Amino acid sequence: MDKRKIEENFFKLLMIFSTLTVLGSLAFILLTILWKGIPALSWEMVTQSPKGGYYIGKAGGVLNAILGSLILGIGSTLLAIVLSLPIAFYLNLYLQKKSRLALAIRFALDVLWGIPSIVYGAFGFTLMLWLKIPASLLAGMITIALLIFPIMTRGIDEVLKMISSELKEATLALGSTRWETATKVIFRQALPGIITAVLLAFGRGISDAAAVLFTAGFTDSLPHSLWKPVATLPLAVFFQLGTPFAEVQARGYAAALILTAMVLLLNILARIIGSRFSRHIIK
Amino acid sequence: MRPHISVKDLSVQYGALTILNHISIDIPDKKITAIIGPSGCGKTTLLKSFNRLLDLQEGAKVSGQVLVDGEDIYDPGTEMTHLRRRMGLLSQKPTVLPMSIYENVVYGLRIHGEKNKSKLDQAVEKYLREANLWNEVKDRLHDSASRLSIGQQQRLCLARGLAVEPEIILGDEPTSALDPVSAEQIEQRFLALKNQYTIVLVTHILRQAKRLADYVIFLYLGNLIEHGPAEKVLSSPRFVKTQAYLEGRFIEEFPIAAELDLCGGAKQDFPFRFEESLRGLTEGQIFKTLVDNEGLLRQILDLEQGQGHKVLEVRQISSTQWEIIIEKRGIGYSI
Ligand SMILES: Nc1ncnc2c1ncn2[C@@H]1O[C@H](COP(=O)(O)OP(=O)(O)O)[C@@H](O)[C@H]1O
Ligand SMILES: [Mg+2]
Repeated sequence: MDKRKIEENFFKLLMIFSTLTVLGSLAFILLTILWKGIPALSWEMVTQSPKGGYYIGKAGGVLNAILGSLILGIGSTLLAIVLSLPIAFYLNLYLQKKSRLALAIRFALDVLWGIPSIVYGAFGFTLMLWLKIPASLLAGMITIALLIFPIMTRGIDEVLKMISSELKEATLALGSTRWETATKVIFRQALPGIITAVLLAFGRGISDAAAVLFTAGFTDSLPHSLWKPVATLPLAVFFQLGTPFAEVQARGYAAALILTAMVLLLNILARIIGSRFSRHIIK
Repeated sequence: MRPHISVKDLSVQYGALTILNHISIDIPDKKITAIIGPSGCGKTTLLKSFNRLLDLQEGAKVSGQVLVDGEDIYDPGTEMTHLRRRMGLLSQKPTVLPMSIYENVVYGLRIHGEKNKSKLDQAVEKYLREANLWNEVKDRLHDSASRLSIGQQQRLCLARGLAVEPEIILGDEPTSALDPVSAEQIEQRFLALKNQYTIVLVTHILRQAKRLADYVIFLYLGNLIEHGPAEKVLSSPRFVKTQAYLEGRFIEEFPIAAELDLCGGAKQDFPFRFEESLRGLTEGQIFKTLVDNEGLLRQILDLEQGQGHKVLEVRQISSTQWEIIIEKRGIGYSI
């Protein structure tokens, strides 16, 4: 047999196998959540707080965790944007590509990216003790912001790196300052990519349990103060699946389904908004 | 006439690599100056030194002076935004901004503080007309600029550049990405604009240089080989490398048979030493001489007429030194 043909077929098979594995796991996860979650999904689940027992109750819903996760996720994403955008633009428009500082910043971000979220949780907890902040929405927000900001920054950084130097030159040649170049031209061109990076970070933040375990705490009441504990969906899933009662476990799957649907919905929404702002992009 | 841009002993290096080698040249006011030469000889680098876009190139080391209207733009006090708005730039690949056609034209006006809507509207029409684009886009000014054809995009870039009211237009092979019809339109615009603007045009298309240029600069491997009025340089160039380039021949380095260093020497004894070293050569052999003042340089160049020797190349090698390459010809030698 022709050796090159065997080679070709082997790698083709390998690629098909990998693709199927990826798609298969995704389908498997979604089907499991749907299959186990739908029976417990009800109108009460998304409109009521838990009732009948401390956060593992069989009655009521997970509205506390839905709102908590949304507020926590959006708040920490906004905080992270405030940190990420300036760093990413500084790296790409003000620093030279191979400058030591740029290398150091990128290295630090990559390391931060790799740190497990439970470590962020522990760090957040230490910080809280030190600053005397109780487990609260604020503490959770800060911890999640720290967790997702390296992801967001490196994402935006990669997008900005792709912007052609000709576009920067053309803008500067018109007499723009670097600030104007960054905010009036490069930002617009990079917006779809920036939105993707922000969404990736948001998805990571809203679905993390370990980082909020000690910092945001958990509560049956709806979020009402920055200084009070707040419930989150990942922890609701965690606690409910951890009980020995099948009924409560089913509610855990329903909560997982709600979390997944929320992430999906926000992605679609942001993309629609993004495409409205990006119709002038140069391809 | 007073030059608009005056380059004095400009050198550019990337690390150990010399990209421009002691260039001194005057760019005449309100004329089209073409910079010609093969790819990689430093044309873009020279052009970008005029509006200091060269500063963006990492690792580029610039020495020497570039005077615009008599002011050294490499002076640390130079306000970059002011300098750059005096020069419109057309790059090789048309680069529209990611916004509408209208916003592209007024971008420069807006950043320089113009807010009056009717003034902006007027400017859009005026400069799109000047760039000969108005009729094609007047009904869709708020469409994306990126949807225009490449040729229209380049004319939009021209309008955008003109809108900041520059004195100088820099074009870096502005027609090389365009179809022939669009290229022709850009050329027509240049001819129409040259009475109001100083235009510097990098091109590797010789026929384009012939059609447009009043003044020509020929660069080769980072050296300024020849410059002068277009008809002179393009039809009867003085130096052999220019001739070779214009005729599409391979450009050879000269085999040097002898060298004479006249640096630091007494001026009076120079003719004697010069004659002496020439005497040792046979006809057609080439020798190189090094001088360190301009007076001497002129004297030697006059020899070309006086004694019939042929000056092949003059190259500035440092701020005060020139290399002259001369081919020996016999007295009364004729071709
Ligand atoms: N950023 C850079 N780093 C190193 N070398 C460069 C850089 N930019 C240009 N060069 C080199 O400088 C030389 C001249 O380039 P350029 O001015 O673009 O030539 P031209 O426009 O005449 O084709 C080329 O040999 C090119 O490889
Ligand atoms: Mg070039």
